Amino acid sequence: MRIELLYYPECPSHERALELLQEALRMEGIDAPVEIIRIDTQAQAEAHRFIGSPTIRIEGIEVDPHPELPYRLTCRTFIHEDGRLSPLPSLTMIRQAIRQAKEVSNDGT
Amino acid sequence: MALEIGHSAYDFSLPGVDGKTYSLKDFADKPVLVLFFWCNHCPYVKAYEDRVIALAKEFGDRVAFVAINSNDPTQYPEDSFEKMKERAQEKGYPFPYLFDETQSVAHAYQATRTPEFFVFDEERELKYHGRFDDNWEHPDQVKQEFVRDAIIALLNNEVPHYSQTPPIGCTIKWKQ
Repeated sequence: MRIELLYYPECPSHERALELLQEALRMEGIDAPVEIIRIDTQAQAEAHRFIGSPTIRIEGIEVDPHPELPYRLTCRTFIHEDGRLSPLPSLTMIRQAIRQAKEVSNDGT
Repeated sequence: MALEIGHSAYDFSLPGVDGKTYSLKDFADKPVLVLFFWCNHCPYVKAYEDRVIALAKEFGDRVAFVAINSNDPTQYPEDSFEKMKERAQEKGYPFPYLFDETQSVAHAYQATRTPEFFVFDEERELKYHGRFDDNWEHPDQVKQEFVRDAIIALLNNEVPHYSQTPPIGCTIKWKQ
């Protein structure tokens, strides 16, 4: 399973995002490395379809996808299940993306 | 490096979302001034928004709260003056929300982040600089309310226990 964490270093959330991602992977029983990709330039943001930091993709499935947003160097805002705004996705959001990736993976095999 | 503790507040003349122009003298009747760099787009600002509004309402009769947006709106259109007006109205900001279009105020205060707080005493000397509290992620798990504690200390003519903490948030978006 390919797991990516893309981040813009001017947003301070990526270390905590990695902790959350690893916790979610453990909870879902996934033992796979996390590919950490640093985004420093607008060109990199466009090349990686990066709408903000942190961006987490599990087998290409993005946690809280927003295809309507432009690719750019910024910090993301996530809306948690309780309506709270946060610079980080919730554990639930990450776990949902992992489960979705598992389903897609199972369907394809 | 931001402004040093003990430094005097720099004056400014900035337009607010309410159509008025503000400078330091507009807050001279309050013994404490909380000046903070703010914006619309940053998720850390959004995470703190309700907490800051609540504090401003709690101490509004004795403490002046002033939000300043210095971000370049050409890069971040949601930080434009028009969007600032919308956000302030939507959330019912109980404090002036000012636009630092030239970014000169952010440069003067050597601010780097949103949100970033500067708390001044009655003489308008800086007594606290840094983050709002110790937990942006979980409001219910906050143990240290740095800005609130600084306000209370200053209202009691005491020295705040913490004078500096590292601000946490998005970087100010400087003009290219």
